[in-house]
Amino acid sequence: MAQETLLLLKNMRTPGYTGDLSAYQKAGGSKAWEKVLGGMKPAQVIEAVKASALRGRGGAGFPCGMKWSFMPPLGAKPHYLVCNADESEPGTFKDHLLMLADPHQFLEGMMIGCFSMHSHHGYIYIRGESQHAIRRVQGAIDELYKAKLLGRNIRGSGFDLDLTVHPGAGAYICGEETAMLDSLEGKRGQPRSKPPFPAQSGFNACPTTVNNVETLANVPFILTQGPEAFAKLGRPNNTGTQCISISGHVAKPGVYEVEMGHNLKSLIYEYAGGIRGGKKLKAVIPGGASAGILRADEVDLPYDFDSLAKAGTMRGSGAIMVFDEDTDVVRLAERTIRFFNHESCGQCTPCREGTFWVKNMIRQFMDDAGDGVLAERIHRAAGQMIGTTICAFGDAVGGPMQAFVRKFPEEFAKHYAS
Amino acid sequence: MAKVGFSDAVLKEVNALFARYPKKVHALLPLLHMAQRENAGWLPRGWEQYVADLCETTLNHVRGVVTFYNMYKTEPVGKYHILVCTCLPCGLCGGTEVLEHLEHRLGISAGKTTEDGLFSLEDAQCLAACDQAPLMLVNENLQKRITLEQIDRWIDEARAKKA
Ligand SMILES: Cc1cc2nc3c(=O)[nH]c(=O)nc-3n(C[C@H](O)[C@H](O)[C@H](O)COP(=O)(O)O)c2cc1C
Ligand code: SF4
Ligand code: FES
Repeated sequence: MAQETLLLLKNMRTPGYTGDLSAYQKAGGSKAWEKVLGGMKPAQVIEAVKASALRGRGGAGFPCGMKWSFMPPLGAKPHYLVCNADESEPGTFKDHLLMLADPHQFLEGMMIGCFSMHSHHGYIYIRGESQHAIRRVQGAIDELYKAKLLGRNIRGSGFDLDLTVHPGAGAYICGEETAMLDSLEGKRGQPRSKPPFPAQSGFNACPTTVNNVETLANVPFILTQGPEAFAKLGRPNNTGTQCISISGHVAKPGVYEVEMGHNLKSLIYEYAGGIRGGKKLKAVIPGGASAGILRADEVDLPYDFDSLAKAGTMRGSGAIMVFDEDTDVVRLAERTIRFFNHESCGQCTPCREGTFWVKNMIRQFMDDAGDGVLAERIHRAAGQMIGTTICAFGDAVGGPMQAFVRKFPEEFAKHYAS
Repeated sequence: MAKVGFSDAVLKEVNALFARYPKKVHALLPLLHMAQRENAGWLPRGWEQYVADLCETTLNHVRGVVTFYNMYKTEPVGKYHILVCTCLPCGLCGGTEVLEHLEHRLGISAGKTTEDGLFSLEDAQCLAACDQAPLMLVNENLQKRITLEQIDRWIDEARAKKA
């Protein structure tokens, strides 16, 4: 197999690594947290994260240090950091690997994030179906309290910090950060209109930042090795490594860690072992179900935020779904719209009604009762969801549905009424 | 009707949970999970009101939450609660076949429970383990890269245990 660039998966790729606190510390873990507690100022931490140019790995790619700097100075209200461990974007499973195989790494990043934003309580929102991940992360937190790396006056620094695991209950939309905050408050998980942004009014109407598991897992490296060492990896504005989830018709599906900007074709053929059964490639969905599909001849490009945006799709959560020559692209479209229709929270008419109508139109193709006019109607209906809704879910459905129709007209034509 | 309410031991856990949130109602999701664990995976009559009282909110609020999230059940579920992922990409990597096979073998469609109360079957969205397709989640246990033969054997064993 081609070599990975190991930063986040380094410990777990070492044979015999258990992920317990003692193993983590033997591998050099907890040093960043001790360094921060040993006399760094919150603003210095944020400067380091800014200098690394780390971008959020949850989907939108927002610069992490800048997000942290949006938190107001400490006032009367407490501040919160919420870790987004909902991982529900179809095709994505790297956060589960990070939580299960090396939970202390992202927790250390989270603790440092809390310190830098004056937060004394952090919540880790883990999807409710993943009892194994919930137990694993809770076990790691228990170890940290026992080692007095969490709790009151940690290591004599005067800093208090608690971490709490909060289970979700099966709703994709709770991965959207404002829906997550409502869910954390014991409500239905429905996205809020912005502004106000979470940094102004988030959890319990207090200043809050939400970060993805993988984003936070990068923070210890940035503080121990320096932001320059991090920014040297990858490409300008797309720095560091990335944990890629590859699934579908490849010989070796799994998570692979490569630098930002690594070639997409190489990821499929050199890391994931190419198409299984010696078949030919037909299509790639390059960033979770919310990303527009690419044809086989479009995948020779650098895999990072900016390059995929330039190609008219997105890197999203770093989930690459690979489909072979036997795949019916209309069926891909059907699975995709079924998912979004099931998971729409129902607040906005274009999203609630649009996902329903598009699903029905795609099903007509599945019944071999489509035609060119209907395909255009799908494209138009999908367009009406883009930019017209409270949250980014509308764009996340509209974009990929339009891409299916535009990129693979011949596949839709196979399902025209005869 | 069976008794509604947590034991003293569980109530201690509930109070520890409340201490971790600014308001009691914030703990509603974990509380509902605890209530389901006490009741073989679902919320019998009376429990929604009980949980509402515990966290100082209204029955209406709890009902709204219970109906919003997939994991809360207001009808009994089978001893084995099976979620089969048929989402993208699992659906194109054997997931749909696994679901059809289970429907056929258990004699129920997705969303239903067998008459003997042994199995419930659900058609699930992505469970964040797509590299292990096809897969099913049985209660808390993820069964990865499952074959139709393994499923047959597992069903036979579960039925034999019950008999
Ligand atoms: C519909 C929808 C679903 C989302 N699901 C997830 C998710 O499962 N995990 C995640 O980390 N971010 C998800 N996001 C992105 C979050 O809203 C948010 O941008 C992210 O957690 C911020 O963290 P980051 O800046 O570290 O990436 C989702 C966004 C939308 C619109
Ligand atoms: S776009 Fe869809 S998911 Fe987002 S708030 Fe509106 S209805 Fe809900
Ligand atoms: S699509 Fe089945 S686990 Fe992701």
